[in-house]
Amino acid sequence: MKSHFGQYGGMYVPEMLIPALQRLAGEYEKARKDKAFLKEFEDLLKNYVGRPSPLIFAKNLTKKLNGAKIYLKNEGANLSGAHKINHCIGQALIAKRLGKTRLIAETGAGQHGVATATVAAKFGFSCTIYMGEVDMDRQRPNVFLMEQLGAKVVPVLHGSRTLKDAVNAAIKDYLENSENTHYLLGSILGPHPFPTMNRDFQSIVGKEIRKQLKTTEKRLPDYVIACVGGGSNAIGAFYTFLKEKSVNLIGVEAGGKGLEVGKHASRFKGGTVGVIEGYKSYFLQDSDGQMQKTHSISAGLDYPGIGPELALLHDKGRIEFISATDSEAVSALKLLAKTEGIICALESAHAVAHAIKLAPKLSKEKIIVVNLSGRGDKDIFILAKAFKDKNFYEFIKREAEEGVIAYE
Amino acid sequence: MNNLDVKLQEIKKRGKIGIMTHVVIGYPSLKDTEKLVISMANFGVDIVELQIPFSDPLADGPTIMKACEESLRQGTKVADALVIANKLAGKVFIPLLFMCYYNTIFKYGIEKFIRDAKNVGVSGLIVPDIPLDEEPYEHFIAICKKYEIHGIRVISPATTGERLEKNSKIASGFVYFTSRQGSTGASLKLNPKLSENLGRIKKIIKIPVAVGFGISKKEHIQQLQGYADIVVVGSKIIDIIDSSARDKMLKNVENFILKIKI
Ligand SMILES: Cc1ncc(COP(=O)(O)O)c(C=O)c1O
Repeated sequence: MKSHFGQYGGMYVPEMLIPALQRLAGEYEKARKDKAFLKEFEDLLKNYVGRPSPLIFAKNLTKKLNGAKIYLKNEGANLSGAHKINHCIGQALIAKRLGKTRLIAETGAGQHGVATATVAAKFGFSCTIYMGEVDMDRQRPNVFLMEQLGAKVVPVLHGSRTLKDAVNAAIKDYLENSENTHYLLGSILGPHPFPTMNRDFQSIVGKEIRKQLKTTEKRLPDYVIACVGGGSNAIGAFYTFLKEKSVNLIGVEAGGKGLEVGKHASRFKGGTVGVIEGYKSYFLQDSDGQMQKTHSISAGLDYPGIGPELALLHDKGRIEFISATDSEAVSALKLLAKTEGIICALESAHAVAHAIKLAPKLSKEKIIVVNLSGRGDKDIFILAKAFKDKNFYEFIKREAEEGVIAYE
Repeated sequence: MNNLDVKLQEIKKRGKIGIMTHVVIGYPSLKDTEKLVISMANFGVDIVELQIPFSDPLADGPTIMKACEESLRQGTKVADALVIANKLAGKVFIPLLFMCYYNTIFKYGIEKFIRDAKNVGVSGLIVPDIPLDEEPYEHFIAICKKYEIHGIRVISPATTGERLEKNSKIASGFVYFTSRQGSTGASLKLNPKLSENLGRIKKIIKIPVAVGFGISKKEHIQQLQGYADIVVVGSKIIDIIDSSARDKMLKNVENFILKIKI
């Protein structure tokens, strides 16, 4: 198992963590060749997570855009509402093999935190989730869910109080407690072996797309589009197609409110190569190597780094990276809801936004698959704000008053 | 031989544990950093570690993290670190080291950074997040050697025998041993296994060993006399700075140094 992707990746961590990471890499190396392990993983994905997730022909949206055929890979149908559960199941099994009793994780949108808390409950681990204070506020429904699943959610109060700071806090916990604790890192980033391990666990998504499309269309897609935070849902959808040059792979980063520093999270537009949080990749950083502030309406894309394997695939030109703005994502979410009856996560809506731009430019024979990485229930508060929904706020006010009476 | 080699010989000869203290450059201000280091040197500190503030210091606990954040908020740049090191090297005789995260060096240009650090009179670099496994990609240790600046290895209680051996082969100056697993920060009690761990390490590491993480009082230093060659006092001094009125800060740090010296 390689620890680098070209010049990217690696294990840039204090010596203190190396033994734990090497043990993890060693165990994963064994597990990935162990038929019993793979069988258990697949069985859980099928009978617990509910895989395969459906590949839906977006008939109405396709008709409306009057161009390429659009298919939606709905990872939102999974247990816990996003693709994150795929690598959580995999890592929980590895943690069990390593004899760990505690799981920790960082979370941005809260989807990875919910998925981690889910597997912790299922497999009997204690669980601590680090979440930036800013993200706790904007993804409050997921904080509630994590707590109901038995996890302790620790607010991270330093730095920008978003995902990158939660990663930092989790690394510190891991430095201290690696003996009994597994750090269930939530994307294809951080030190080796996380980028490789999570990619492998997520690659089921692309394999299913291939199979499902073969049944309905008897061929490969022409485009696969996914949003890119750290990159786990994107690599999951893309990986199986890397060698097939006819399949165009497009990663959509958060364009936020525009391309000034601090207003977006488009690493391939504003970023340069650096070494942060244990790995080498592109980062939004200043000329001194300090990480810059980022912004996205979606917490899951609001992160200054990007998975090292995607950095390499970017340089090779195999994946095209573009961005979609906050308002494009919100409009896309609305359109998808009205045409297809699917409310996707704001992260995923970035991928939808690009499909909406691309489809009308393509002929009707072309096929686009959009990876809907998650469902949108968690985003109702952000959306209510974006839509200035008066009725929603009046409801919240009444609920709050009743709630306060109940606990007082 | 650079300044650090001379100091390490002196510590060995006098048979009493050396004291290394730590500052975050630009905290509470650049001017204060300068005054603090001069005071430290005047009051008998043997080595000072100048930490270049970084946005994401993953080996540091809340005390140093906050200091980094505040220094950066005031606009401290890597160029300021070189300027202040240069100034201080002209004013104090004790060796100065840079502590920084690898991205600071990488972004500046690895060779350029090491050469510039050397040129301003810095004797060694403590970089916690560049393990020896990345050497084939980074050539960090090789470039340190080329410029005769010590690339200090940082090891911990979790470091296995095999990795101790590997680190000992490339270690230079001294080895920095963290008393416990975790991040920096003052503690009340030292790890009960510390002397046992040091015994294990000293069998393999033949150059001086510095012990840091959690050292906050004289008893800790007394406990380490005979087991370690150098103690590192970091977060505790920032705690003192944080709890001092601005005009009492220097005096309080000086008193603390007098109090812990053995
Ligand atoms: C629904 C959803 N999509 C996408 C992401 C972004 O992460 P990644 O790029 O690793 O898939 C997240 C992260 O929180 C998420 O919750």
